[in-house]
Amino acid sequence: MAKRFTASAASPLSWWLLAITMAVVAGVSQSALTQILVCSASLIAILMFREEAPWSRSVKFYLFLAGFVVIARVLFRIAFNIQNPEDTTALNLPGFSINLGFGPPVELFGAVSVEALSSGATDGLRLAAIILSIGMASSLANPRTLLKSTPSALYEIASAISVAINLAPQMISSLQRVRKARSLRGRSKGLGSMAGTVIPVLEDAIDSSLSLAASMDSRGFGRRGNLSKSLVLAARLSSLMAVGFLSVGSFALLVGQTQTLGWVFIAIGIFATFASIRINSKSQIRTRFEPVKLQFFDALILSLSALLLIAAILGWFE
Amino acid sequence: MTLSGKWISNLSILLAGIGSVLMFSWPFFISGDSAVEADVAQVVFIALMPVMLVLILVEVATGEIGSKQIALLGVLIALNAVIRLLGAGTAGIETAFFLIIIAGYVFGSGFGFLLGTGSLLVSALITGGVGPWLPFQMMAAGLIGIGAGLLPKFVSRVAKLSMLIVYAIPASFAYGFLMTLWNWPFLAGSESSISYLAGAGAIENLIRFVQFQILTGGLIWDLGRAITTVALIAITGPLLLGSLQRAASKAGFAKPSKQEVANRAKAQEL
Amino acid sequence: MIALHDVSFGYAGTERPALSRVNLEFQPGEFSLVCGATGSGKSTLLRILNGLAPHFTGGSLSGSLVIDGEDVTGSKPHELASLVGFVNQQPESSFVSDTVKQELVYGMEQLGFKRDKMTDLLKHVAKLLEIENLLDRPLSWLSGGQQQRVAIASALAAGQKILLLDEPTSALDPEAAAEIVGVLKSLAHQHGITVILVEHRIERVIELVDSVVIVANDGLVTKGGYEQFENYHLVPPVIGLSTELSWSPITVSVSAAKDNWNQSPGSWKPLVNEHLSEAVAMDVKDLSVSYEELDAVSKVSFKVHTGEVVALMGKNGSGKSSVLWAIQGGGKRSTGSVKTQFGDPKSLSAAERLCVLTLVPQKAADLLFLNSLADELSESDKFAQLTDSGTSKIFESLTGRLDPKIHPRDLSAGQQLALVLALQLVKGAGILLLDEPTRGLDYAAKRSLAKQIRALRKEGKSVLVASHDVEFVALVADRVLELESGKLVSDKLAADALGVGASHPTQISQITGVPGLLTLSQVEAVQK
Repeated sequence: MAKRFTASAASPLSWWLLAITMAVVAGVSQSALTQILVCSASLIAILMFREEAPWSRSVKFYLFLAGFVVIARVLFRIAFNIQNPEDTTALNLPGFSINLGFGPPVELFGAVSVEALSSGATDGLRLAAIILSIGMASSLANPRTLLKSTPSALYEIASAISVAINLAPQMISSLQRVRKARSLRGRSKGLGSMAGTVIPVLEDAIDSSLSLAASMDSRGFGRRGNLSKSLVLAARLSSLMAVGFLSVGSFALLVGQTQTLGWVFIAIGIFATFASIRINSKSQIRTRFEPVKLQFFDALILSLSALLLIAAILGWFE
Repeated sequence: MTLSGKWISNLSILLAGIGSVLMFSWPFFISGDSAVEADVAQVVFIALMPVMLVLILVEVATGEIGSKQIALLGVLIALNAVIRLLGAGTAGIETAFFLIIIAGYVFGSGFGFLLGTGSLLVSALITGGVGPWLPFQMMAAGLIGIGAGLLPKFVSRVAKLSMLIVYAIPASFAYGFLMTLWNWPFLAGSESSISYLAGAGAIENLIRFVQFQILTGGLIWDLGRAITTVALIAITGPLLLGSLQRAASKAGFAKPSKQEVANRAKAQEL
Repeated sequence: MIALHDVSFGYAGTERPALSRVNLEFQPGEFSLVCGATGSGKSTLLRILNGLAPHFTGGSLSGSLVIDGEDVTGSKPHELASLVGFVNQQPESSFVSDTVKQELVYGMEQLGFKRDKMTDLLKHVAKLLEIENLLDRPLSWLSGGQQQRVAIASALAAGQKILLLDEPTSALDPEAAAEIVGVLKSLAHQHGITVILVEHRIERVIELVDSVVIVANDGLVTKGGYEQFENYHLVPPVIGLSTELSWSPITVSVSAAKDNWNQSPGSWKPLVNEHLSEAVAMDVKDLSVSYEELDAVSKVSFKVHTGEVVALMGKNGSGKSSVLWAIQGGGKRSTGSVKTQFGDPKSLSAAERLCVLTLVPQKAADLLFLNSLADELSESDKFAQLTDSGTSKIFESLTGRLDPKIHPRDLSAGQQLALVLALQLVKGAGILLLDEPTRGLDYAAKRSLAKQIRALRKEGKSVLVASHDVEFVALVADRVLELESGKLVSDKLAADALGVGASHPTQISQITGVPGLLTLSQVEAVQK
């Protein structure tokens, strides 16, 4: 009998890609049904594949969160209602307006239409679907494994993050130990004692960071291949291009009739981002013992993501 | 990295900062006749913000980052992530920023950005609280760190502290504004009485935004954040500055002061 | 294998060099011990051998370093990483990953090894250090000894031929320490790795090493055998006895010393039994501390008299810390009472407690947070509402005068402990509780602490000190309590608890077999 399929059978990258495509599907869709489907799919995935881990939250938590979001959205819609006489009234509440002393007075409550309620609910569902799909990836994808798969250009940052994740539990116990010790000096607690609690932990952390750095250097950290000057320049320029095109493209997307241009610029920007990462990664000469290998389940998940993405682009979900 | 390379890097970071602010504040700019649905815009920016983050990270990180800086960054991120979790849950008490501001000031903008981004990321990772808001929180906290690094360096400790406190107030509010801006279209949609109005121009939308802030109590949270951050900087600042300054020279960020060299020399002889 | 020619090293801003014109050689497969006082250049010497000095630590280096026939002077640490491995005191703070396997391959990844090679070397080093069954385990689940094995394996994974260790046993208990030292010896003698070890707890390694390197405070370095201990006095009692009685050759093992003593015993004076006051400073009755799953402390009862020093001994985990915290009142206390002149500390407020008794925790530095020595002292005066710098008076009586601008973290471990003692004693508490104060202290600092405690005792203070360090307890205690699994199993006078036939005999009593002869200070020196 095959081992039960759980989250770590697939690479964390696949889970995230799936989550992003699901979020995209939810984001572009107007139908409440799609949103509910995305929510359910996320919850089912969490329920079935979740492993025991500190970053993995329970289905109850996400259900709660989704419900909260939808209700908040609907309540908001009811409170900050714009009355439209053409719609069918669902709730007839007294309407009034607040004048804040600047700008037009804000209208509150009043006759709440069915259309308003349903659009509020749909929007709430959309937000819930996006949150849940990202929550699915956050619960199923092991952050440490994810960090190991970052491109070499970000190796230093990924190292720092991974050090931080490893040290966080130690920080908590250090803070507790120091708090206990401070009680020996008979001082006050509360905000005023923050300095006395944080500083010793900070000093210990600084000392251990030096120890850590020495250990890293002693094992070979810091070897660098040399990029030729022209490659370095190419790397810097491609980053600049990427940022430029993404910013301008975003602006174009929003303003006026430049939608297509906006998309094109964004696409160029993304391409330039990849180029920049690629070039910057060339200077690293480390190897990886357990490089991320894509397996059967990854293929499954990735194909599913691809299908969803294509369908979304083709407009099937609108 | 050649001098021109450094310039290009900084320009990229500057542009990225502006671009990110745009991604936060798109409701001000979206035109009424834009064929792009606001919803698509929201989703696109959720996907693009991480890309911007990555680009800034690439530009900040390449260069002379050695093991000491990484290790120091790692422990400070861990510490700040834990400090943030300690304060979370209590309304308005946001403990995550005082360390970012002080460390950004001592170690520079790049470190400040990394500490801001990193602590938000790690505190989300270890509690499983990752959501579509995370890249935006990371960017906003990172911008606060960058800003702290750009503040002028004084000599007197009183001057340093006063400046940090003065910076902390608009910085805390700016963070709040950015995150509320992100929240705005999600919570209010496009059809409520305090939603943004596509095509209405930046000023009118700004008015609507402030109304939204006031009526949803966002302003109170921001005030709470500003007060906590200022209080923590005032209480821990003098000592933190000292500890971080020593760390900076030990880790090779800055040349040690004469007093530090003398102190360490005496310590060697003990 | 390693050769240093005319190597000198100095840190910025110091006039005295850390090392001065050092000429040393190490053979392949040699197991060598480097010792020196705290603050001498012994750690620096180690770090020169893998490039951490000067590239990581700062400072300036002159002279030449040759490793395996190649001149590698001035090489950076990552350039020497494939030749030399380095292990620090605290394995936990050198770990970069979360599982054993990843930690082991970290170095190989940095050096760019191919995957097949990594797999082979991984198997080899795991076998070498006997950690094959631990490979997939998270590092945080391992014991101290296991972690140190992983750190050593990680330093040797890429096939390094030289292993440098900086006080690797300081965080370990005696059993784990002995195991690690045994592993190091076999690495050297059976696998040809040159192992160089900095250690100030000489007794843990001295019988197993091939050579000893002594680093003096003026930067001069000598290498040789045990004869060097004639001029070096930071040594365990067995070696101290050798030099006092001018034995030649100097013995380092208890059994050899026993033979020497039996042949010609020296003369000695008995312990001075100062008349202890009959007044009881603290009466502990039926103290118990229970958690959900275990009873940390079960019905412990004892008395401490005024002006008495009582030692609380027992293995790690026997409940010593819990007893101290329960007495102080800040820690959990399930049942039991503590009677002092001012009442039960548990019922007093935190500030009132400091007038009655005070506890110095295991990590004394946790209580220090200000930027300079002067600030700590004056803040303490303010808190205790003193106008006459009382804290500095106490501090100076313990360690003498120091530059007030020093940052507390730059003080030595012994000085930090003295500072915390001064801070805690400022309100005049009559009872002092010390939790494992000897951690991180070398012989000189321990003797100094023992002197300080005996001085406090003369002032009429009562001291309860938890420690597993037998020699330290012999220097300082009047009575010894023994805890085992939370129960008090014996309450004897020091002479009986640490002497011949007891469960924790001191080295001197083991060697001489004389009842009542516990410490070196009782033995009269023989002039050569």
